[in-house]
Amino acid sequence: MTTQAHNRDSGTNSTVWHEAYPELGTGPIPIEPCISAEYFELERERIYKQTWLNVGRIEQLYRPGDYFVKDLPVCDTSVILTRGRDGALHAFHNMCSHRGNKVVWDQKGSCQHFTCKFHGWSYGLNGGLRFVPDEERFCDLKKDRLGLTPIRVDAWEGFIFINLNPTPTETLTEHLGELGAGLEGYPFAQLKTCYAWHTELKANWKVLKDAFHEAYHVPFLHKRSLPDSFTSPDNPYAHAFAFKLYARNHRMSVFGNPGHQPSPVELLAHRFGASIVRRDWEMADLPPGVNPTRSPFWAFDANMIFPNFDVFVFDGTYLTHHFWPLAPDRTLWEVKTYFPDARNAAQRFSQEYSKVLLREALLEDASTLEATQSMLASGAKKEFVLQDQELLVRHGHRVIEDMVGFYRAKA
Amino acid sequence: MPETRLPEQFRDLEQWMAWSLETEGERSDHRQASAMEDITAFYEAMLARMDEVLPYLEQFNLEELPDDARHLFYLTLSLAEVAPAVEQFGQPSVVDGYDIKRFVATHR
Repeated sequence: MTTQAHNRDSGTNSTVWHEAYPELGTGPIPIEPCISAEYFELERERIYKQTWLNVGRIEQLYRPGDYFVKDLPVCDTSVILTRGRDGALHAFHNMCSHRGNKVVWDQKGSCQHFTCKFHGWSYGLNGGLRFVPDEERFCDLKKDRLGLTPIRVDAWEGFIFINLNPTPTETLTEHLGELGAGLEGYPFAQLKTCYAWHTELKANWKVLKDAFHEAYHVPFLHKRSLPDSFTSPDNPYAHAFAFKLYARNHRMSVFGNPGHQPSPVELLAHRFGASIVRRDWEMADLPPGVNPTRSPFWAFDANMIFPNFDVFVFDGTYLTHHFWPLAPDRTLWEVKTYFPDARNAAQRFSQEYSKVLLREALLEDASTLEATQSMLASGAKKEFVLQDQELLVRHGHRVIEDMVGFYRAKA
Repeated sequence: MPETRLPEQFRDLEQWMAWSLETEGERSDHRQASAMEDITAFYEAMLARMDEVLPYLEQFNLEELPDDARHLFYLTLSLAEVAPAVEQFGQPSVVDGYDIKRFVATHR
């Protein structure tokens, strides 16, 4: 293949993406939303307390009675997720109706009911108040109105979402929109083995999120860990070959180098399964929203579900990011990578290689962020300058501002 | 003579039993605490035998690994752990990387 033909075929150099989305403009964007305490409070109130948030997977609530707790400091609450006796999913604020104590103190388990350790009030899996010790000493106790405070909960493709707004402005299906519809049918449920890391970083949640929403950094930050997986002589700057922006969600299809030269251990690992740098070629029927242009140069799709949930789908493996805001300059970052259950020890070795390589790349990704945040705080510069391939960063900031209205209010 | 043994045909790898570690955290700690020449020696010794090791391990379900095969399996996981140190970084840790101690694994 000649260089010219390669360029044309991979589509990585020929398209100017911002021309497809003229409403976003091409100018610099303000740094202030990444350092402002006022902006952060507005994000909490107007986004995180109003929007569908992914808090887990259905496998965490496998049987009736299973529960887990998700602390959501960004929403000023802790949430209990349960599967009731009837199999239905429930979510509640983790707060006793009596004097406000936290009801569930462990992170997960299985039970018939929850008992508050303060005065022994007990609640069923559906949140109903079941038992109050010394009940006759209360006057006019309306037990049927004193259940745990429910939270909206729904599931999509095995991902459990909650919405703190008691009257959400949109359903989960509407929230996921076309991006979600296009992913339906991807075998999330078959990729059950999960490896997970988390860390608390001193950086604004958008600084983290933006780091994963462009591939421009790949040839620099990942020159050691991924020297030729997502770049090639014809695509030295890791241009993504397809972008798609929806109302608030978006996707970037990342280029994979067909000429990638695997290392010796990588070559061994490839004999027994998929990895972040090798397609499995076993998944013949990928849904229409996965590698939507059906490019032979496809490595993976970075799908971003507003506001803080990324689902990166590969052929045979997927990974997720959650960016949980803690403070204007602090974020809890959770990464999970999913594989099929290993059939044997050799396949498990293959997964180990893939997850270690991913971890190393993530350690590179995370390496700049705290330094970046500290310099943003210096105030020396007021704007970020973005190129065409940083379209998702631009769109991400725009859709946040559309809900926050910080600049709208000042205009 | 070490207490734990590898399957008979892999006994030459028994000198590396310090790398037979069950969790990613243990393997990562051992990598970070080791000298690069020791990491490289382990990497080369394992790599030379992997064409026989992997087909051997392929016959076992993960839940039914005999003790000796399980230690061999842990050695392969340590090979996966040290591979980037040898193949990508030329040093035990990620070059200019985020502190791995702060990147907490919740899996084994």
